[in-house]
Amino acid sequence: MGYLLTGLGSVVLIALPLFVGSYFVTILISILYYAYLSGCWNILGGYAGQLSLGHAAFFGIGAYTSSLLFMKWQISPWLSMWVGALLAMCFGLFMGSLSFRFGLRGFYFVLVTWAFAELLRLITLSLDVLGGPTGIFISYKTSPWQFQFSSKVPYYYIILGLVALELFISYKIEGSKLGFYLKAIRENELAAEGSGVPTTRYKLMAVVISAFLTALGGTFYAQYLRYMDPETTMGVSLSVEIMIRAMVGGSGTLIGPFVGSFILTPLSELSRTYFTKGGLEGLPLIIYGSVLILIVLFLPQGVGTWMMEKLAGYRNKS
Amino acid sequence: MSLLEVRRLTKSFGGLKAVAGVDFRLDKGEIVGLIGPNGAGKTTLFNLISGYLTPDAGEIYFRGVSLIRQKPHEVCHLGVARTFQIVQPFPNLTTFENVMVGALNRASSFEEGRALALEILKSMKLFEKRQVLAKNLTISDRKRLEMARALATQPDLLLLDEVMAGLNPSEVEEMIRLIQRIRKQGVTLLIIEHVLKAIMSLSDRIVVLHHGEKIADGSPEIVSRDTGVIEAYLGDLLLS
Repeated sequence: MGYLLTGLGSVVLIALPLFVGSYFVTILISILYYAYLSGCWNILGGYAGQLSLGHAAFFGIGAYTSSLLFMKWQISPWLSMWVGALLAMCFGLFMGSLSFRFGLRGFYFVLVTWAFAELLRLITLSLDVLGGPTGIFISYKTSPWQFQFSSKVPYYYIILGLVALELFISYKIEGSKLGFYLKAIRENELAAEGSGVPTTRYKLMAVVISAFLTALGGTFYAQYLRYMDPETTMGVSLSVEIMIRAMVGGSGTLIGPFVGSFILTPLSELSRTYFTKGGLEGLPLIIYGSVLILIVLFLPQGVGTWMMEKLAGYRNKS
Repeated sequence: MSLLEVRRLTKSFGGLKAVAGVDFRLDKGEIVGLIGPNGAGKTTLFNLISGYLTPDAGEIYFRGVSLIRQKPHEVCHLGVARTFQIVQPFPNLTTFENVMVGALNRASSFEEGRALALEILKSMKLFEKRQVLAKNLTISDRKRLEMARALATQPDLLLLDEVMAGLNPSEVEEMIRLIQRIRKQGVTLLIIEHVLKAIMSLSDRIVVLHHGEKIADGSPEIVSRDTGVIEAYLGDLLLS
């Protein structure tokens, strides 16, 4: 049943741009791009249980690295995105080593990730060589070799590909020693240590994978919007948006971030479109917040998990 | 060479000497009971051996290798596994997944680990419950799960911390038989226990701790008649 739905869903997603208008494609790109970022977050925050409120740092490193290398030395983002990913990985290793060495976990780790992201944001804000408060505009070239397209459709397929990549990696992790060890760490780190799990090493592995993949998303964003500034790319609100989609959909599951983004992203996009007139500007946020509260209260395991449980129950009955 | 050698082991917390210059040895194949009134230092000793605590002084040698300053996962890798006084399962993982984490310690492949985990589940009578989340198991099953997970790491030495606590008499009987089976499979055991009947019937030797010091070390018959041991327990009874 699950395979059927996945297959059907994939076909629909692949064929969709042929049947719908540009506005719809834009929304879908938003949904998929957040699904991708949440999925990357999920590897560290969901499977390993190390909540990060600083993923915007990895994202920002990806976006800024490829953009700066492009604007200064005309290096194609297709190449520099890997440089950005490696830099994000090193940043993650640095932050992780410091935190885990001093035994920071749970809430304290959350604070440290937030602090590091803020540090990065402030540094970027204050250095003009990095664009400063005005940010960076990427010159309009529309060359596929420079990761730019005039139509939205190629961007759609690229982000769809990235989502597929992230799902594949998560799927592989789930059924591997890495996945089992990360979940053990999440569930009971002390018991995991006593069962032979090198907890620090595996937590760092999760940070590294998560950071690398998140940074790739940063480059995508840079090439799609062709503009970035420290607040939108490294700010804590981005980190929050990434995190809550995974949690609403079901953190630590394969489809959780995906489902979470399909619920929250349209909500925030559409309510912003339809309610920003005549004094109702605050309404989108109220609706958004209310949905979050309802889900936390009634479906704390996540909507995706709830859906899977319903499906399993349905299968057991028949 | 003894399997485990502990020499002059000392650990203090603030001004309190939890373990004070303890010496003892374990030979391969033995079942040794570790008893003593509450607060005697038994679990602290376990924490020192398994790497959760670093001693202030003394030595711990396992198969000739020093365990001092090794992390718990390194100690586990060397062949020492332990259970906890208050069970520590992975609550949201299934029984199978719990044991699998242990099995991956020494397994050379994922498939080998999975086969070992399933085999252990069968021998610990947890196979039917392999898809049940650990948090939904009964206390008796959770204790068995903890032992199964420890056994899955393929230890040479297993430290059991009060596995009988909270079990009814027939469950205690079952646990005694289980422990004897584990010894037959070649695992050496050091057992902390308060259920005297179990300790007396299982142990080849008993080590008695009191206020962090070893006050007796010998066969169950000798130890049960040792005046120092009797006073320690009676004294504890009189004070409480």
